[in-house]
Amino acid sequence: MQRTKFKSAIGASVLVAALGLVSAPLLAQPAVHAKFDPASEMSISGIVTYVDWKNPRAHVFVNVRDGSSVTNWAVELESPLVLRGSGWSAGSVKPGDQVDVKGLRARDGSRQIWSESMTVAGSPVFTLKDLAPAVPAQKAPAPRGSDGKILLGAASGYWGFPSEHALVEDGVEVDVDNYGQLANLADAGKVAPLQPWALALYRHRQERNLRDDPMFINCKPPGGPRQYQSDLGFKFVEDKANQRIFVMIGSGNRNYRIIYMDGRAQVGSVTGDDDNPLYYGRAQGKWEGDTLVVNTRGFNEDFWLTNGGLPHTGSLVLSERFTRTDMNTLQYEVEIEDSGAYTRPWKASWTMQWVPDQEVPIFFCQDNRP
Amino acid sequence: MIKHIQVMLTALAIAVSGSTLAQPRREQPPAGPAPVNAAGRVLLQGADPSDKGTWTPVFGILDPITPYEQIPFQPWSKALYDYRQTRELEPHTRCKASGTARQFLTPYGVEFVELQDLQQIIIFDIGGPHTFRIIYMDGREHPQDWQHTYYGHSVGRWEGNTLVVDSVGFTEQFWLDRRGMPHTDQLHTIERFTRTNKNTMEYRITIDDPATYTKTFDGGFNLRWNQGEELFEYVCQQANYATELMVGAGAESVDRSSNIVP
Repeated sequence: MQRTKFKSAIGASVLVAALGLVSAPLLAQPAVHAKFDPASEMSISGIVTYVDWKNPRAHVFVNVRDGSSVTNWAVELESPLVLRGSGWSAGSVKPGDQVDVKGLRARDGSRQIWSESMTVAGSPVFTLKDLAPAVPAQKAPAPRGSDGKILLGAASGYWGFPSEHALVEDGVEVDVDNYGQLANLADAGKVAPLQPWALALYRHRQERNLRDDPMFINCKPPGGPRQYQSDLGFKFVEDKANQRIFVMIGSGNRNYRIIYMDGRAQVGSVTGDDDNPLYYGRAQGKWEGDTLVVNTRGFNEDFWLTNGGLPHTGSLVLSERFTRTDMNTLQYEVEIEDSGAYTRPWKASWTMQWVPDQEVPIFFCQDNRP
Repeated sequence: MIKHIQVMLTALAIAVSGSTLAQPRREQPPAGPAPVNAAGRVLLQGADPSDKGTWTPVFGILDPITPYEQIPFQPWSKALYDYRQTRELEPHTRCKASGTARQFLTPYGVEFVELQDLQQIIIFDIGGPHTFRIIYMDGREHPQDWQHTYYGHSVGRWEGNTLVVDSVGFTEQFWLDRRGMPHTDQLHTIERFTRTNKNTMEYRITIDDPATYTKTFDGGFNLRWNQGEELFEYVCQQANYATELMVGAGAESVDRSSNIVP
C-alpha cells in the first residue's frame, strides 16, 4: 500500500514543536482548515471565563486584555473524547485560570482560535496523545466461533484507527491529510478515475477547504466507506440466529446499519420502499472462507462518499471484503463501481485496528447544536 | 414567527404520526401466549428467526406517561413543564437521541435483540436518532467515570418474565416523554418490560430524580407487537428543516444559556 501521508497539515515543524503536537487524531470532526487558516498562526493570553466541555469540540472562553479593553475569545479544542484520552478532564482548565494559547486564527476574522494545547500558569503544556492502542509484538490468531467462522466482534472491543483516513485509489501516491484535504489541488485528478463533472465537484469541495461537508453541517450519515475511516471506528454485532450483522457506527449520528446474510434481494423492507435510495444502501453479505464479502447498492446522493469529498451517484455499487487477519487487524478492501461518476471501477484498501475492552466511543453529531 | 414554528411543528408531528396510517399495518395475529425460550422465559423477540416483529406504542401522540396532577414537580420543574407546553421545542424533533420513555414513543418503533453470547440486549431504534442502546446483562455495576449520554448506562436482569433495567448517567438535552417532563443529570430510572402475551408489552418506568421531583414516581404505557415488521433505515436529518428553524439567532431560537434545554 503505497501512499505518502502527512500528519495534520498544521504545517511548519517549528509550530509543531511549539504546540508539542504528536499526531492529530481524526474523530469524524469538521476539517480544521475549513474554519481556521493554517497560514495564520497567532497567540493569546488571558483569563478563562467558561469551559464548554462538549462534543463535537470543546471550547474554552478566554478574556484577553488589550490595553484597557477586554475581549472574549473562543479557543476551540478537540472533542472531549480525544482530550480525555490525552489526560485532560473537564476540570483541567477552570474559570479564573491564566492561560496561554497558540494556534490558528479563524478564517472569518471572528475571535476564535484553534489550538491543540494550552499552557496553564505553573502547569505543563497539555499535548494531544496518539490514542491508538499499542499493537502486541506477538499477535494472537483471529478468534473463531463455535461454527468455525472468524468472529468479527466481541462483547467489548471495536475497530478503530484506520491506517488510512482518506480514500485514494490503490497504487496512487498523493499528499493528503487526515481530513482528506489534499496538499496540492493539482493532485485531485490522481485520487480516483473521476469523470470530468465529478472531478470539478471534487476540486470545488477541496478549494473550499471542505467547509460544505454535510456530515458536519447537517449531521448527514457517513454512507459508504467513510464509516470505516474515522478513529471513532465501528463494531460488528453478529446476530447469527437472525442471519444479520449489525454495523454500529461510532462517527456521525451513532447509527447502525445491517448486513443481511440470508441471501435476500436488495430491495426495500417496507411496503412501497423498494426503490427508496438509502444513506447506507442495502447490504448483502456472505462468507468466502475467512473473508466476509458484502455487496451494497441503492445509495442516495445526499452524503459525501469519503473524507475529502469524492462524489458519487445513485448508481454506486460497493463490493467490500473484510478479513480479520489476526486478533488485532481487520483488512478492508473495497471496489467502487459508479458509472455515473467514475470512468471505470476502482479499488482502495486499508486496515483497522482492534481496540480491546472498550465500547465504541459515544459520539453524536447532534451535539453540535443546542 | 412563533406561530409559524408552532404550525410547522404541529405539521411535523402530524406528518410523523400520520405516517403510521399511511404505512399499512399488517394484521396482528390473535393474542396468543408470548413466545418463550428453552428455559421457559418470555422472549422480547419472535419465537424463531422467521417470526419477525417490532414494537410500537399504543399511545396518543400527546398523552402524558403520568397524569399531570400526579407528577410530583418541584416549583422550577413545574414551571419548565408548563413553559414547554407553549413552545414545543422538543429536542427529539431536531434529532437528539431521547432516552427513557421517549425512546419507545416513536411511530416506527424499536426492536429488542437479545444476544446471549455477548450477555447484552440491544434495543435498535427505527425512527428518531436511528441509534442503538446497549443493556448490559452480565451483572456489572454502573461505572464511576461514565460520560453522561442521551441513553445513559443501563444494566439489566430478569425477574421472572420481566426485564428490569436500571439506568443512570443521562445528559439533560432531551425530554422524558412527548409532553416534556424535565430532568437533570442526576436522573436514575428503573424500567420494567413485561410481555404479557404475543402482542402486548407493558412498559413501566420509575423516575428517580431528587433535583427535579419531590419523590420518585411511576409512568408507563403499553407497546404492541407488529408481526412481520423489520428494521428499516430512517434518517432524522433527511429533509429535516426543524434543526434550522429551532436554532437561529433570533428571539425565538433555543435558549443556550442552560444545559437544560427549554
